[in-house]
Amino acid sequence: MSISNELVNRYPWLPSLKKYYNDIGEKPPVEFIAEIFNSPDNHQIAERVLNIFKAAFDNLEEIPNYQIDNLNVYVYLLLKIILYALNNKLITNRIANLYSKNAYSDMERENNESDIYEISHDLGLKINYYDPPIEYGLKIVKDHREPRRTNFTIHYIDYLRLASNLRDEYRKLTNNTLINGFVFVQNKTLIRLIQEYVRNKLLIEETDDKASLKAFIKEVSRIQGFKDLYDKILSLWVERKEDFDFTFKIDIKSKEELLTLYPPCVLEVLKKAEEGQNLAHHERLYIVWFLLALEYPVENVINIFSTLPDFDREQTTYQVEYAKRKNYTPYQCSTLKSLGLCMAEKYKDELCLTGYGSKDPTERKLLKHPLAYVRIKQYRTEKEEEYLKNLAKRKLEEPKNQND
Amino acid sequence: MTDLIYLKRLFQAYYQEERESIPIVNSLNLREFGFIPWEKKVFMKRHMKFETPDELKDNIIQNAPKHLYSSGSLYMLPDAKEMENKKYLGCDLIIDIDVDHFYTPCKNNHDLWVCKECGNKGSGMPDKCPKCKASKFSKLNWVCDDCLDIAKKEIKKLIYDFLIPDFGINEKDMKIAFSGHRGYHLKIEGDELRSLNSDERREIVDYLTGNNISFELLGLIERSKEIHGLSKENLGWSQKIMRKVEEFLSKPKTEIERILLDDKRFNFSQNYVSSFLNYKDDFLELIKKGERNVWAIEGFGLIMWKKFLKEIVKQVGVELDEPVSIDIHRLIRYPGSLHGKTGFKVQEINMNELEDFNPLDEPNERIDPIVFKTEKNLSYKLEITEMEVPMTKIKGAKYGPYVKGEKIEVPHHIAVFLLCKEVAKLI
Repeated sequence: MSISNELVNRYPWLPSLKKYYNDIGEKPPVEFIAEIFNSPDNHQIAERVLNIFKAAFDNLEEIPNYQIDNLNVYVYLLLKIILYALNNKLITNRIANLYSKNAYSDMERENNESDIYEISHDLGLKINYYDPPIEYGLKIVKDHREPRRTNFTIHYIDYLRLASNLRDEYRKLTNNTLINGFVFVQNKTLIRLIQEYVRNKLLIEETDDKASLKAFIKEVSRIQGFKDLYDKILSLWVERKEDFDFTFKIDIKSKEELLTLYPPCVLEVLKKAEEGQNLAHHERLYIVWFLLALEYPVENVINIFSTLPDFDREQTTYQVEYAKRKNYTPYQCSTLKSLGLCMAEKYKDELCLTGYGSKDPTERKLLKHPLAYVRIKQYRTEKEEEYLKNLAKRKLEEPKNQND
Repeated sequence: MTDLIYLKRLFQAYYQEERESIPIVNSLNLREFGFIPWEKKVFMKRHMKFETPDELKDNIIQNAPKHLYSSGSLYMLPDAKEMENKKYLGCDLIIDIDVDHFYTPCKNNHDLWVCKECGNKGSGMPDKCPKCKASKFSKLNWVCDDCLDIAKKEIKKLIYDFLIPDFGINEKDMKIAFSGHRGYHLKIEGDELRSLNSDERREIVDYLTGNNISFELLGLIERSKEIHGLSKENLGWSQKIMRKVEEFLSKPKTEIERILLDDKRFNFSQNYVSSFLNYKDDFLELIKKGERNVWAIEGFGLIMWKKFLKEIVKQVGVELDEPVSIDIHRLIRYPGSLHGKTGFKVQEINMNELEDFNPLDEPNERIDPIVFKTEKNLSYKLEITEMEVPMTKIKGAKYGPYVKGEKIEVPHHIAVFLLCKEVAKLI
C-alpha cells in the first residue's frame, strides 16, 4: 500500500517522505538550503519557519496560519536543519512539542480514519482497521447501555514503544483492553501516539562535535537568506530566553546544597524541566509534592515550570498553592516504579539499588519512599562532616601532644 | 574430604556424564555467563563468554560450579567488565515465578525463621518479628509439593490467562524450566520482545500482576451518592476482575466469611463482612444480569470497594518476581544446570508436559529433576547440623523432621539435598 503524496505534504515527518522527495534526501544540506533560498518561494518558506519559532516561544498550542501545501515539506526540513544548527535542547523541545501538538490537532480535525490508518501503516505500526468499528465493551450510565467501539487496534509492542513515555494512567497497558496481542485504542488515543512519534522525530540530540557544527553554520551562513532567518531566530531567542530560564538552582540559595541529596527520580524531572522537555502529569505532581514536602517556597517551585512549553504562571501558581494547602505526600517508590519515574537503574544510584542499614547485602533495607532518600543522605553527610571535623581536630591536637 | 568438595565432585561427575545432554541456549556466543563457585570466599564470577558449545561444556565440567547462570540479554561483547561496554543488543523476556517471593500457607509448616534481634523463632513468612518488630531474620526455606503446585498454578495462569489470550504469544515461542528449587522460569525469545526497554517491560509486568491498575479508569465511580462498578462486558482487566468476583460470590457463605476475615487476604472487620454477606446474593445477581452497575452494599464506599477489588486483582494477577522481567542485565539459571541449594536439575519441560510435571516425584525419567538417585539401595550417613530441619518428601517417601545432632541414614538424593541445604554433614 502506498501513501498519497498529499498526505506526505501534509505530514512531512512520514517515512515515505524519502520516497517522494528522494532528490532532496540525496543532496548535502548546504546545497538544499541554497536551493531553497534561491527559489521564488524563499520568503514564504522562511516566514513560515520563523512563524513556528515565534509560536513556540509564545507558548502557543498550535502554529497560527499553518498551511498545508507542497512547501510544507521544505518548511519541515529547514526547521530540522535550524534546530541542528541552534543545538539548544530547550528550543528543540519547545519546537518538538509545538510541532507534534499541531500535527495532533490537524489529524484530529480531519478525523479521517482511512488517513490515520495510512499514516500508521507508513510509520510501520502493526495496526488493524475495522470498518464498521469493532465493539469491545459497554458503557453503562444508570440504565443506559452504550457499546464501546473503535476502528483501531495496535500491536502491544508498538503501543508500548509510543505510550510508555507518556506516563499517564490512561495509557498504562493495564488500563487498556489487550486481546491477542492487540490493544484497542480510540481514534484520539492513536493520534496521540502518533503525536509522540512526531515529537521524537524532531528531538535531535545535542551534538558534542562543536567544531563540525561551527563549520556547518559558517558555511550555510554564506547563504544570505538563511543567515537572515537564523539571526532573526537567535535574536528572538535572546529576547525571550529570560522567560524560560530555569531558576531552580539560582533562586534557592539557602537550600542549594540539598540538590546533592535528591534521589535520581527527582533529579531526572528537574533535568527534563531544565531542558524544557514537556513534563507528564505525574511528573508535575511528583516534583511539586516532593519539593513542597521539603518546604520549598511556592514561588521557587513555580519557577521550575517556567521552562515548560505550556507554562502559564497564573494557572501554575493556583495549582502549586492548592497542592500546598492540601499537603499531599509525594509518590512512594513502588508507585514511581509503576509510573516509570524511578530512575535508580538509569542513574545507577547505589542507595536506591542496594539500600541501607548494614554492610551485609542480605540485611540491607530497600528504600520505600524518596523522602527517606533525602533523610538518609542528609544523615550520611552530617556523619561525614562530623568525622572530618573530628579528624581535623585530632590533627590539630597531635602536634601539641608531641610538644608536651 | 569436606562436604563442599564432595558436592563439587558429584556435580563434576554429573556434568561429565551428561555432557552431551547439556542444553545450549540460543545465541550462546552473545550471552554473558556467571558462576557461583563452591568456595565460599568467592561470591560470583561473571562477565564470561563462550564461543562454542564445547567451550561452555569444558568449562562447566572443569569448574562444576554451585550455581550456573547466563544472561537473558545478548551483547556484542558479553565478557566486557562494565555493562556500558558490553554493547547491548537486546534481551529475551524472562518471567520468574518463585515461591520465595510470595506467601503460601505451606510455609507455616516448613519455612523456619529466627529473629536476629531478639532470637525469637517461628515458622511462616512474617514481615516483622511478632515479638520485637525487627525485620532481620535467619531463614531456612524448604520445598514441598504444595508450594510447587502453587508455583505451577501461577505459571499456568501466566500462560493461559495472559500470555496466550492477551499478548497473543504462541506456545511454541515459550520455554519453560523448573528452577531447581521453588519455582519456574519462562523465557520468550523473539526480536520484537528483545528490543523492549526496561520501562516498556515494566508495563508488561504491571499488566501481568495488575499493579497500579486504575479502578476509576475501568469504571469505578461515585455519582450522585451511588457507586458505579466495573462491567464484565468490558474486555481486558475489567472482565477478568468481574469473573473472579462472580466466582468468589458463588462460594458458600461460610467460605466467603473466612476469606474476607483472613488477615493475609481481604482483612475486613466483622461489621463489613456481615454487611457483605447480607447483600452478596443481590450483588451476584446484579453481576450475572449485567444490566445495571450500581453496587450497593451498606457501609461500602469507594475506599472499601477499592480495598475489595485490590484483593481480587491480587488473585487474578500473576505472582512473579518483578525485577527479573524488568532488569535487562539479569543473569538467570542456566537450563540443564544443577541448583547448588538442592542438587536438583534446572529442568526444561515442554508445554504439554507442564500439567502432569511433578518435580519432587516425576515418573518420566527424561524430565526428572532429581538426578542423584540411589542405586542399589545404598544409604548415606549424615549428622544434622541445623537446630531444626523440616520434613522432606521426595519420590513419595518422607524424611524427617530432624533436630540438631541427630544421626540419620538416607538415600543418596536426600543426602545431596540436605548437604546442599547446608543443614547436615557427612559422617
